Amino acid sequence: MTLPSAGLLAQAVVGGIFTGAVYGLLGLGLSLSWGLLRQINLAQFGLAFASAYLAYELQQHGIDALFALVLLPPVFFVIGAALQWVVERFRVTPFNSLLVSFGITIILEALIQWIWTADYRRLETPYGDLKLKLAGVYLPLPEMITLAISAALAAAVWLVMRRSDIGRAIRAAAEDAPIAIAFGIHQKALALGLAGLNAALAAIAGVCIALTYTLAPSQIFAWVGVVFAVVMLGGLGRPWGPLIAGCAIGVVEALTMAIAAPAWAPLVSFSLLLLLLLCRPGRA
Amino acid sequence: MGGAHVASGRESLGPIGRRADGGMKRKLALLLVLAIALAALPFVGLPQSWESILYLVFHWIALATSWNLLSGYAGYFSFGHGAFFGIGMYTTAVLTTRFDMPFAWTLPLAALAAALFGSALGAVAFRVRSVRGEVFALLTLAATFVLATVILNTPIDGGPGVYLNAVAVPTLARTASGSFYLLALGAAALALVVAVVVFHSRFGIGLFAIRDDEDVAEVMGVPTYRYKLVALALSSGIAGLVGGVQALFVAYVTTADTFGIALPLTVVLMAVLGGTRHWAGPAVGAIAITALLLGFTSADNAIAGRVVLGLVLIGVILFLPDGLLGGWMKRGARVRRLEGDAAARAVGADEIAAAAASPALREPSNPDAPVLLRTRKLAKSFDGVRALDGVDVEIRRGEILGLLGPNGSGKSTFINVVSGHYLASGGQVEFDGRPLARLAAHRVARSGIARTYQIPRPFAHLTVLENVALSAMFGAGSLGRRQAEAEAWEWLRFTGLASRAGSLPDSLNLHQRKFLEFARALAARPQLLMLDEVLSGLTPSEIDAAVALIERIRAGGTTIVFVEHVMRAVAALCDRVLIFDRGELLASGSFAEVMARPEVVRAYLGQEDEGASPAGAVEPEAVHAA
Amino acid sequence: MLLELTSIRVAYGAAVALWDVSLSVGAGELLCVVGPNSAGKSTLINTIAGLHRLAAGSFMFDGQDLSRMPAHRFCAQGIALVPESRRLFTGMSVRENLELGSYIPSARAHRAQSLERVCALFPMLASRLAQPAGSLSGGQQQMVAIGRALMARPRLLLLDEPSLGLAPSVVNDMFRAIRQVHADGIAMLLVEQNVGKALEVADRGAVLEEGRIVASGSPAELARRPEIRRAYLGADLEAPAPG
Repeated sequence: MTLPSAGLLAQAVVGGIFTGAVYGLLGLGLSLSWGLLRQINLAQFGLAFASAYLAYELQQHGIDALFALVLLPPVFFVIGAALQWVVERFRVTPFNSLLVSFGITIILEALIQWIWTADYRRLETPYGDLKLKLAGVYLPLPEMITLAISAALAAAVWLVMRRSDIGRAIRAAAEDAPIAIAFGIHQKALALGLAGLNAALAAIAGVCIALTYTLAPSQIFAWVGVVFAVVMLGGLGRPWGPLIAGCAIGVVEALTMAIAAPAWAPLVSFSLLLLLLLCRPGRA
Repeated sequence: MGGAHVASGRESLGPIGRRADGGMKRKLALLLVLAIALAALPFVGLPQSWESILYLVFHWIALATSWNLLSGYAGYFSFGHGAFFGIGMYTTAVLTTRFDMPFAWTLPLAALAAALFGSALGAVAFRVRSVRGEVFALLTLAATFVLATVILNTPIDGGPGVYLNAVAVPTLARTASGSFYLLALGAAALALVVAVVVFHSRFGIGLFAIRDDEDVAEVMGVPTYRYKLVALALSSGIAGLVGGVQALFVAYVTTADTFGIALPLTVVLMAVLGGTRHWAGPAVGAIAITALLLGFTSADNAIAGRVVLGLVLIGVILFLPDGLLGGWMKRGARVRRLEGDAAARAVGADEIAAAAASPALREPSNPDAPVLLRTRKLAKSFDGVRALDGVDVEIRRGEILGLLGPNGSGKSTFINVVSGHYLASGGQVEFDGRPLARLAAHRVARSGIARTYQIPRPFAHLTVLENVALSAMFGAGSLGRRQAEAEAWEWLRFTGLASRAGSLPDSLNLHQRKFLEFARALAARPQLLMLDEVLSGLTPSEIDAAVALIERIRAGGTTIVFVEHVMRAVAALCDRVLIFDRGELLASGSFAEVMARPEVVRAYLGQEDEGASPAGAVEPEAVHAA
Repeated sequence: MLLELTSIRVAYGAAVALWDVSLSVGAGELLCVVGPNSAGKSTLINTIAGLHRLAAGSFMFDGQDLSRMPAHRFCAQGIALVPESRRLFTGMSVRENLELGSYIPSARAHRAQSLERVCALFPMLASRLAQPAGSLSGGQQQMVAIGRALMARPRLLLLDEPSLGLAPSVVNDMFRAIRQVHADGIAMLLVEQNVGKALEVADRGAVLEEGRIVASGSPAELARRPEIRRAYLGADLEAPAPG
C-alpha cells in the first residue's frame, strides 16, 4: 500500500468534497422527510434520476441544464405534494410508506430504462469541461456549481427553519401535531408543502447529478446506501447535516480509494451506516 | 349461564382458523400429498419448459415463505434476504469449485453458513431496543451491501465471479432440469412445513404477539430476544439452502446478480401481496407474481414487468394492506364478528351479571402473613425527573393493597418498574425471597407477577382466546399450547367473556376489554396481580361487577395490588392503602385511617395559601409520571 | 355568554367520555371545573380547543357555531389552550415557543407587545428566553405554556390541570399569575385537581363526574357540597367506622 503523492491526496480530498455535495443534495430532502414527516422516502432517488434524465433530454433539445434547474423544481413540487396527499388519504403507516416509495422508485427506474434505454448517457454542456486550477488542484465547473447549490440550499432551508414562522410551525407540527394545530398551524397543508419541497430538492439534485455524472438507470439504487448513512450521520431534520456528513463520508471514501483499492470504498459508508444504526438509530 | 352456541374447548375459533392441533396435522398431510404428486411429475413426462417454470415457482415460494418467518410473523421486515441467499450461493460455489466437495454435501453447509450469519446479525441488532421497523430494514440492507463488497474484494469471488459448469448435478431425475425441479420442490416443501409448524406452535404465537406489541409480549413472558433470533436463523438458513441450489442451476455466480436489490424487493412484494400474517400468504404471492412476470419475459417486457411490479406493490399497500389472504381472513372475521355481536349482546350481559353474582368470601387478610414483595429505596428517573424517589414497600401474601395518590405521584411508575416494563434506576425489589430488579421482563412474568394496563393493550390480531392462552403459555404456569387454550376457556368463563372467544379485541367494548386484561393477567397464574386503574371509564354497574370479580380473585389466593381513583371501590376492597405523592410514599395504613390524615387531604385537595413564598426561592425539580 | 356548550356528547369510538354536558362561560369570567380522574375533564377542554369533534349537542362561541370548524381555525376564533403536562415544543427555545403562540395573523401583528406583557407577568422568563424549553423546571415550563397561550391574545383561555406535578410554592406563584390574567379581563376555563386553589380563584365552578356535570354554582356553595369531598376522599367519612 504505497502512499500517493500529496497532490493526488489533495485532489482526492477535493473530489470527496464534491461527491459529498451531491450526497448532501440527495440527502437533504430525505432528511427533512424522515425527520419532519416521519417518512422514509426512497422515492427521492427515483425522482432525482427522473429529473436528471429530463435535464439530459432538455439539453438534447437545446435547453441548457441551468434552465432545467428553474423549470423542473416547480413541476416536481406538485408531484411531491400529490404523492403526499395520496399517502395521507390512504392513511399509510410510516413503514408502509417506505414500501410505497420503494414501489414508486421501481416504476421510475423502469420508465427511465424504457425511454432512455440502459445505455450510458452523458449530459454535455459547453461549459462542462471548464476547470479552475488552484494550488495544483483541479476544480471542475459543474462540480463547483453543485457545491454552491448544495451549500446555498442548506443555508436557505436552515434560515427558513430557524428564523421564519413557517419553519417554526413545521418543526412544531413535527414534534406535537395536535398542539400545533391548536395554535392555528395548518398541519396538513404544511405537510403537503414540505413533501412538495422535498420533491423539488430531489429535482435540483437530479440536475446536478446530470451535470457531473454519467447516467445509467442501474445507478439509482447505488446511491441509496451511502445517502442513508449520510442522512443518519448528519442527524434527521437538520439542514446542514447531510452536506457536512456527506463531505465527511465523501472525503473518507475518496482517501480510501486513493490509498487502498477503489472497490473497498463502499465498505466505508455501509459499515458506517451499520454502526450508526446500531448505536444511534436516529429516531427523530 | 348462556353459551349453547359457544364452541367447545377443543375448537378455538379465529379468523385464521388456527387450531391448536387438528388443523396443523391436516395441513401437513395436505402438503405431503401435494409434494408427492408434484414430485412424480418429472417421471410422467412433464415437458422441460414446465420443469423450468415450476423450478422458479418453487424457488420463490421457498424464499418468500422463509422471509416471512421473521418478517411476517414477528413483524421485523428485513431487506436482507439477498444476503442470506447470497451466502448460500457462494458457499456452494466455493466448496464445489475450490474444494471439490460433492454438490449435495454443500447444501446443508450453505444453509448453516447463512443461518450463522443471520444469527450473528440478529444477536447484535436485536440487543438494541430501538432497532425496529424502518431501522431494522435499513440495517439489513446495509449488511447486504457490506457483505457484497467484502465478497467481491476478497478471494471468495475476487471479481470475475465463480463458474460451476464443471460441477456434477446429482441425478435425482432423468434430466438435470428434472433434478433441479426436485431440489427446488424439496426446498419449497421444507419452507412450507416449517411455516406451518411454527404457525401452530407456542413459538409462533409468541412471534405474532411480538409483531402486535413487542413490549407487552415481553412483559407477558415471551422471551422476545430468543424467539426473534431463532426465527431469523430459520429464515436465513432456508434462504441459504435455496441459494445453494440456485448456484448450480445458474452455474455462474457473481455478486452483482446475487446481492442486488431485486431479490429483497421481490420477496417483500410476494409476501405482502399474499398476506404476511398467514403461513400460505407468501406462497400465494409467489405464485401470483411469478405467473405475472412470466408474461413479461422478453427484454422490452422485462421493463414493463418491473413497472407492473411497482404498481402491484403500491396497489397492495394502498388497497389491500393485509394482502390477498389477509383481506379474505378479515371478511370471514367480520361475518363471525357480526354474528358474535348479536349473540354476545344477548349472552354477555347475563354472563357478566352471573359472574358478579357468585358469592365471594371476604376473608380479612392476615397481618402476619409472609411478605411476598418487598422494595427497598426503589427509584426511577426519566431524563433527570424522579418519578419514583426511594420507595420502601412491603406487600403481604393474600392482601389487597391500594396505591393511591394524585396524578403524577408515581403509582403507575411503581407498577411499571416492578413488572419489568421499565428498568429501575436504583434500589432493589425482592419477590418471594428472590431479587427481581434487573431481570428481563419476561422472567419477571415467569416468576409469578402479572399486571393489567390502564389503557388495555391486547394483541390486536390475536383472538380473545389466543390473547388469554398466550399468558397461560408464557406466564408462571408455562403451559403447552393445547393446555393453555383449555385454561384460557376457564378464565374467559370466569370473566364472562366466553361468548367472545373467537372475536378480535377491537370488537369488544371498553368494559369487555378491561375484563380481557383481567383474564390475561389471571391466566398467567400469578402470585401477585397488579391492576393499573382498571376501573377508569366504567359505568357504576360495571364497576360493581369488576369489584366482585376482584374479590373472587383474591378469594382464590392471589395477592393484589391496585392503583385506583374510584374511591368507593378502594374503600370496599383494600386491606391497606399506600399514598404516593411526588414519587415518595406519604402514608400507609387502612383506608379510613389514611384518608383522615391532614397531609393526605392536602395532597389530594390542594392546600390553603401559605402566604408569600420566600423571595428568590429555587423551584425544585418537578416530577412527572411516566 | 362567550362560550355556550349545550348538551354536548363526546365519544372515543364506542366509549362515551362526555354525556350531555352543558356549561357556559361569560366574557371575563373564570369557571373552574373539578372532578376525579377519568371524569372527562381533559376531554372537555380538548373539545373546546377543537381537538375532538362533538357527537351531539351545540357549541357556540361568541355567537359562532364551532361544531363544524376545522381544528386549526379555533385559535383564530379567540380560544387558546394551556395543555395538560405543558406540552411545550421541547426542541425549541422559550422565545420560539412564545412566538409560536402568536402564529395566527391577528396575534402576529402584536407580537412584540404581547411578549413584553408575558415577560412582565412571568419575570423569570425574561432572562431565559434563549434557553431550550425542555431544560426548564416543571414550574417554569408551566409559565411558558401559559405565556404561549397568552401570546395568541385569546378571549378564552383554557387551562388543563396546570398545577399537576408542581411543588406547592410554585403552585402559589402560578395561581397568582392566573389571578392577574383574570384581572386583565380574559375569560378562563380552569380544569383542576387542586380543588382548594381552584375554588379560590374562580367566579363559578362545576363538578364533573363520569362524564356528567353533577353540581355547579358559586365557589362558596360548592365547597360545602358533599360531592366534592366524596369525589376525592371516598366514602362519607362522617359515618362511624365498622367495629
